[in-house]
Amino acid sequence: MNRETTPAIEVSDLRFRYPGSPVESLRGVDLRIERGDFVAVVGGNGSGKTTLCKSFNGLIPHFWNGDISGTVRCNGRSTAHRTVGEIARDVGYVFQDFGNQIVRPTPRDDISFGPLNFGCEDWRERTEAVLNDLDIAHIADAQTWQLSGGQQHLTALAGVLALAPDIIVVDEPAAEVDPLRAAVVYDHLARLNERGITIIVIEHHAELVAKYAKTVVLMSEGQVSWCLPVAEALSRTADLEAADIPAPQVVAAARALVPDVARGIRSAPLTVEECAEAVREALGPARDTAAASLRLDTAAAGTDRSACTPASASFAGSETDRAEPVRGAVAVADDACRTVAEVRGITVGYQTISGARSTVIDDLDLRLHADERVALVGSNGAGKSTLLSTLAGMRLPRDGSVIIDGQETSRLSPSELAGTVCYLVQRPDQMFLQDSISADVGMFPRSRGLPDAAEITAEVLDRVGLSQVGDRDGRLLSGGQQRRATLAIGLAMRPTLLLLDEPTSSLDLRSRDDVIDMLDALAEHILCSVVATHDMHLVAEWSDRVIVLDHGRIIADTDPIGLFSDRELLDRARLVPPQVTQLGQQLGLDPLPLSLPDLITRTTHAEEVVR
Amino acid sequence: MTAVHPSSAPPEALARDLTGADSHRTAGPSGDGKEKGAGRKRKDRGRLSVEWVTLELMRVAYASRGGFLSRRDPRAVIIWYVICAIAPWLTYDLTVLTTLFALAAVAALSARIGPLLLGLFVVGLITQGIYVLVLVLLLGGDVGALTGLLQTSLKLGTVSLVSMAAFVSLDPEKLSDGFQALRVPAVVGFGVSYGYRMVPLLVTEFQTIVDGHRLRGAPPRGHGFLGWRTFARLGSIAVQSFYPLMLNTARRTRTTVEGLETRGFGTATAATRSLRLAHLRFTAVDAALLVGTVVLIVASYWFGALVP
Repeated sequence: MNRETTPAIEVSDLRFRYPGSPVESLRGVDLRIERGDFVAVVGGNGSGKTTLCKSFNGLIPHFWNGDISGTVRCNGRSTAHRTVGEIARDVGYVFQDFGNQIVRPTPRDDISFGPLNFGCEDWRERTEAVLNDLDIAHIADAQTWQLSGGQQHLTALAGVLALAPDIIVVDEPAAEVDPLRAAVVYDHLARLNERGITIIVIEHHAELVAKYAKTVVLMSEGQVSWCLPVAEALSRTADLEAADIPAPQVVAAARALVPDVARGIRSAPLTVEECAEAVREALGPARDTAAASLRLDTAAAGTDRSACTPASASFAGSETDRAEPVRGAVAVADDACRTVAEVRGITVGYQTISGARSTVIDDLDLRLHADERVALVGSNGAGKSTLLSTLAGMRLPRDGSVIIDGQETSRLSPSELAGTVCYLVQRPDQMFLQDSISADVGMFPRSRGLPDAAEITAEVLDRVGLSQVGDRDGRLLSGGQQRRATLAIGLAMRPTLLLLDEPTSSLDLRSRDDVIDMLDALAEHILCSVVATHDMHLVAEWSDRVIVLDHGRIIADTDPIGLFSDRELLDRARLVPPQVTQLGQQLGLDPLPLSLPDLITRTTHAEEVVR
Repeated sequence: MTAVHPSSAPPEALARDLTGADSHRTAGPSGDGKEKGAGRKRKDRGRLSVEWVTLELMRVAYASRGGFLSRRDPRAVIIWYVICAIAPWLTYDLTVLTTLFALAAVAALSARIGPLLLGLFVVGLITQGIYVLVLVLLLGGDVGALTGLLQTSLKLGTVSLVSMAAFVSLDPEKLSDGFQALRVPAVVGFGVSYGYRMVPLLVTEFQTIVDGHRLRGAPPRGHGFLGWRTFARLGSIAVQSFYPLMLNTARRTRTTVEGLETRGFGTATAATRSLRLAHLRFTAVDAALLVGTVVLIVASYWFGALVP
């Protein structure tokens, strides 16, 4: 058979059932992936994406012995009679929790692990080549447990590349790293793809799919719904919506604003530029005047955010509506400006393995007020988590002081502070200390001997919509449910100040929107919330104050619009605004829109004004 | 304020409920002075914190301090260890044992075992001495019993010291290479290096879980007599943290096992072994180390025969 024309992967009528499972995970999959393609496999949770991809490299059925029928061929050879080790030289696999794929103490050693196991004489050269190829030579001898998520991801990818496979499967590259780091991995994948390596990714983020993939495979209930070129695939918004993959904001905006796209006459734009172009054409030349009149409009509408917000820029449309109940609740003037937490000149550091002390936070001052929704942003290692744990009193500053609700954290034990400040850590499973969600939620009220502990637990579980699964172990829930469960744990502690570390990381977009809605709903129960995040959608749609950290210092204290309008600041903090904001910028809207409804009402409203 | 918590009692009342008599919210800083623990200021402790212990263990594990054994071939270090660990069991002579113990102590110090291990060793030695003494006094034994116990203590002490010296000087890679070079099954060598990789993660995870218990669990009700309450609380937290730690680890390991499979760990061949070990060099200095050690041990036996 001619190697050039053989498909990279050919699956025919594949059925698979995990041992002990009553239903089939794959129900007759037929799929053909051409050599040199860049394929994104999309689909809702439990649609069989990962199961399908694990059949490509033989983990199914050789590692997971379930009931299987049908055939899988890699480079024309059936996987049925080859071992996982043999197939590994054709198909590389980077797992979703890639950190656990790294088995040796240093990247250099981990990368050479595969070639050594297969007895490659040139393992040293291969390792060096891959290190240079992925630009990680400078961390080759670091300890793997000290690497950041992004570096670990590249190390895992390098370990796979060292075996020189011509097909690489990457399971959710953007799940556990910040968007820019995910883009680094994707750029490498795109480069490898240009060299002829077939790339298969499992991906939830339609925006990344739009930017990098050539072909999209939609999985649904264990079957391939369709396999289409990317532009066509992304136009099928209804199918994608059904699979919990909201269309990229540019596609949604184009469908709402450009009639030709909505009718399917014109294909959906994939980039912000294309979309801005299409919207401009659709709105016609009147747009500029429209935007100008709009500017006046919103400036008048969104005037007085609470006076203690440092940057009192105007807030448009939905933003103002949403903030209304909160403002109504806190009618008393002095209450509204109450200082919840004050940080005075703190310096926080860690001891390093060489014995020296690193400084993570450097002479930082900060005041948090009642009714603020603070987003803490900045690149990895900027000191976000350290600042949160210092605010929670878990870590004490070397210099300076932290005053929470009038009390210095150094004078109280962490357990005394727990009723005032609640810190929800990044990985939900570390918050599940008991064997059921309701026991975890009730742990704090019970241990403090509250008489109505049972009622509190029931009420909180009800509020986050987890009453049905209250008796299950938190670890067995889906990602979105796990986040809601940790929120419930925090709520039951009834804190004045709620601190959350990356509450939306590694969630699919639907669950992420759920969590953002939930944070919105909680605002009335908590005086002040601080969220450390990389998720600019969360920043845009939820926060009203943004603190940008860089190398342990605050480089900006502003609001979302202020952040997204400042090009230099965004670059410095390695942040990318949501597409809708970028689109607003291209269209010359001022202030920038923060959400899709905001953009749509303002553009269409402006049109009416002109008419 | 109440409007912010519409569903329940005002936070002030809640705070009183939560912390009982130890309420920190109602009283100002001056009023807190009377209350247990509240007036004392916590400090950012440099040493003796969990963080320091973790780091110290890492320094030990990754041989980052240097020392005379860290530059040697791993095979030489392992053989050196075996020789030194066997030597004290061949005699009952107190002089020989004391000499060997002293030599082992010198070796451990020059291998730079670090303050944590040294501290633990000394504390262990002293408490053992005390309890042996108490036992002998209480049970009315004679000096003969004491000598017997002293012999065992010296032997165990010597073995502990050389173990520390050897393993502090081997980082995980050298250790697993050394094992493989001495034809120990590959799984053992891999297990050792994987263990080293996992320990820091497990320690951090354990710390997070323990913190969760401290924050969300029952607050301490004072230290109690000789601090028994604190000990009981720490003990129960440690036991309860075990379950989540193990479950979380089990989930991680699944990926690791699949990853190992895809990277050909099961298919490792003789070629793998020779490739991996190609960089090992057993030099004249390594040989000299072993010969020197044997000479020193023989010399101590000879010295023991001279001075009974």
